[in-house]
Amino acid sequence: MANMKKIQETLMNSIFEVFEKMFFVFLEPFEEDIHYDMMTSIRFSGPMRGEIRAYLSKGVAVAMVKNMLGLEPKDVTDKVMEDCVKEALNMISGNFLNKWDATQVFDLSIPEYEKKQGKFEKDKPATLSLLFESDEQYMGITMNLEPQKQ
Amino acid sequence: MSFNVLIVDDSNSIRAVIKKIVLLSGFQMDNCLEAGNGREALELLADNWVDVIISDINMPEVNGLELLEQLAKNEILKGIPVIMITTEGSDQRMQEAFARGAKGFIKKPFLPEEIKKVLYDVIGVGKDGQYEEDTRNADELDF
Repeated sequence: MANMKKIQETLMNSIFEVFEKMFFVFLEPFEEDIHYDMMTSIRFSGPMRGEIRAYLSKGVAVAMVKNMLGLEPKDVTDKVMEDCVKEALNMISGNFLNKWDATQVFDLSIPEYEKKQGKFEKDKPATLSLLFESDEQYMGITMNLEPQKQ
Repeated sequence: MSFNVLIVDDSNSIRAVIKKIVLLSGFQMDNCLEAGNGREALELLADNWVDVIISDINMPEVNGLELLEQLAKNEILKGIPVIMITTEGSDQRMQEAFARGAKGFIKKPFLPEEIKKVLYDVIGVGKDGQYEEDTRNADELDF
């Protein structure tokens, strides 16, 4: 299994870069369980394969849309939120894999989305689990790595 | 002189952001067409002329690399410059895009200045979004 500490640092850097550059949302690491309103996931394959999921509270998604597209909160629809959070995860994953090893080719799936509420526990079982807060709105990220097929 | 631009990306939000950046950059844009994937882009190109295409790679149905391949096979469309704007940032993927005819490459997440610079370089306009005037005398030009 690859160096988990390095994977975690690289993934966190990608999350911060995407949120700050594209959405003007400044995240802070968080240490408690959170509640989420939507989930998006993407699979990647190549020299390393697995899945990344993002669990977001509605407030984070609204801030992303509002900041990126310059919309008023009343104009932020479920459809636009879905589009934005899927694209955010797509960018995070591509950026992470590129930072991890730009000499290798990875394939990304088309992101999937589900509008569902739930609790994200800080010790959620996953290869890697990260929690973030921004203006009392929350996001959890998990990454699951799969063993390489022989 | 103003230009027609085609933006191809499966994310409505990203298309809207790119369009806004291009407009705010001072680029002389006439029409801005939008497509959600390569198949929709080819359908639009059957009826519309564009001067530059800005396209994602990872899209459903016909992806950005397949779009480049289709454009290269078409005598009328093969001269249209294409800028890839994508999360697929590996060296090999970038080389693959250039080998298939892409003229520029921008990695997501991007800054507005990156889009402006690559777009202006590819189209060949100056910092003000206009073609540089040729100040040479007619006698100096070699026909």
